[in-house]
Amino acid sequence: MDVIQTKSLTKTYDGKGGISDVTLSVGEGIVYGFLGPNGSGKSTFVRTLLGLLQPTGGEGYILGEPIGTTKSREQVGYLPELFRYPDWLTGKQLLESHAELCKIPARQRSRRIEEVIELVGMAGRETGRISGFSKGMSQRIGLACAILNDPKVIFLDEPTSALDPIGRKDVRDLMVYLRDQGKTVFLNSHLLYEVESVCDNVSIVHQGEIVAQGAWRELMMTEAQVEIVTAGTGAVQFPPFIKSWQKGNEEEGRTRWILQLEDERDIPKILHHLSSGKVDVHEVKPITPHLEDVFMHWVNRKKESAYVDNR
Amino acid sequence: MWTIGKLTVKEMISKRIFLITIIMTLIFLALYGTAIYFAGKEGAEAGDGGQGTEAFLMQQFVASQLLGVGLYFSSFITALLAIMSSVSAISGEVSSHQIDTWLMRPISRSQFVLGKFLGLAFLLIAYAISLFFSIIFLHQGIGAEWMALDIEPFQMIKAVSVFAIQPFVLVAFGVLLSTRMTTLNAGIVAIILYGAAFIGGFIEQFGAVVEKTSLVNIGIVMSLVFPIDSMYRKMTILLFDSADNPLSIAQGGMFTSISTPGNIMVWYAVLYGAAAVVFSIYSFKNRDV
Ligand SMILES: Nc1ncnc2c1ncn2[C@@H]1O[C@H](COP(=O)(O)OP(=O)(O)O)[C@@H](O)[C@H]1O
Ligand SMILES: [Mg+2]
Repeated sequence: MDVIQTKSLTKTYDGKGGISDVTLSVGEGIVYGFLGPNGSGKSTFVRTLLGLLQPTGGEGYILGEPIGTTKSREQVGYLPELFRYPDWLTGKQLLESHAELCKIPARQRSRRIEEVIELVGMAGRETGRISGFSKGMSQRIGLACAILNDPKVIFLDEPTSALDPIGRKDVRDLMVYLRDQGKTVFLNSHLLYEVESVCDNVSIVHQGEIVAQGAWRELMMTEAQVEIVTAGTGAVQFPPFIKSWQKGNEEEGRTRWILQLEDERDIPKILHHLSSGKVDVHEVKPITPHLEDVFMHWVNRKKESAYVDNR
Repeated sequence: MWTIGKLTVKEMISKRIFLITIIMTLIFLALYGTAIYFAGKEGAEAGDGGQGTEAFLMQQFVASQLLGVGLYFSSFITALLAIMSSVSAISGEVSSHQIDTWLMRPISRSQFVLGKFLGLAFLLIAYAISLFFSIIFLHQGIGAEWMALDIEPFQMIKAVSVFAIQPFVLVAFGVLLSTRMTTLNAGIVAIILYGAAFIGGFIEQFGAVVEKTSLVNIGIVMSLVFPIDSMYRKMTILLFDSADNPLSIAQGGMFTSISTPGNIMVWYAVLYGAAAVVFSIYSFKNRDV
């Protein structure tokens, strides 16, 4: 069963902004990236799924339960983008209140609370009042809150916005840990590198619409490039399926080339072609495309197709 | 629901304003006690001179006036506190986004609203009842014999119940406003209505004195719109109006009642509060936060 499923889910604010017509399904045990620049509708989408916003169209289900029902939120954790917790509570009291709301049996509460505090790296600091917490600490206690009830699906909305590089790595590790436990993590982010390092599947959103969906690896292959260093300084006969290439610098009798590929999987074929043409290859290095470029690629493609559709 | 209710109570208690309120209340009670003490002493000395109906009337009038002042002021503080604490109940949590993490839990919107209401109503009603009995005991105790009025325990119970309706209605109404308005707007609306109810009550009293039905009617309409002042007056009647005391009418005055709200008004106020709670639940059900 799909953990999250939506059909044309739409939430606009008086017809403007928000997010429109989202159809997606997220399977179990993966990290799903919801990727897009600020204002593209990511938070709106998640808040609609959690019943905080009333959808203006379409439908959505979490673990098979229609969104907006209390049942749909039973196995869910959430770290909001604008996290603010009652600052008169201590970190531990906050978790206790949430444990109560999640109906975690009283006997298990304190042990579970200790566990999550450990997991988010707040051990020893949980008895302080939240009013004295730094933003980073609040975000960590928020993460603890999000995973407290051992949820099947965890929504993280820009979870590293207040964290330093070490904190970011911690969050990444936490997401991987959760996935390895069979949980589904739904990650909202505008930071491409954050998505890249952990996400299995992504949706790319732009101005309230999904422009691309799929496995991260496949979406990334759009702009595959490879750098090849060949012996000699003369021209090289590349296979006919290479549409364009650039000659780089020449050094010590070797030449550097940058080849534009249709598909990363063509690399062995190129090497085969070169070696049968008696060209010595010293170096082959696939170039990971610039993430921003990949992003723009999909945005532009969507725009083009919309343009064609409109004609 | 209970978790939210408990949290609401804890939050109020943890705020600095709570401590300030308690201290100020104690200061008020101390002042009131002092005033009652000296008034009682003076009264007893002056009363030594004359016996008879006139002196008795005088004593009853002054004593009930003083008790009336104490209770009126108590009802005023309770009302202000009820308004101030309830108008931000929902709107405050929404604007600070704190509500997001509560509402994403498997609780319904109605449970959240009810929890908030119950927590606040519990606190304010507890406050009102303690204040009521503090005033009564100060008055009957420190005021010593001269001050003491003949009030039966059952009368007191009835009176305090009606006294507690006021914070109930105000909290319910404040929460209702806060499901729809910003804290500031809700506060302004609630205060103005409270003021209008006060003036309406005053007009009604005045109308009864000068026997002008139209004025009385204005007051009645006002107490239907916002049944707050009428509850205070009903309370004073329950407290002062003992059947075996033919002089009870004479005890009237600014802080007690001439035009008397009927029992039906009490039920109206209770229903009014309950309706406000139901409407808050309804109003918050499908709202974006
Ligand atoms: N409460 C609101 N009222 C009106 N417009 C809103 C509201 N919240 C968000 N928007 C608009 O909806 C769009 C999506 O916002 P948001 O979901 O916060 O995007 P993201 O999380 O991707 O940054 C933005 O254009 C924003 O201006
Ligand atoms: Mg956002």
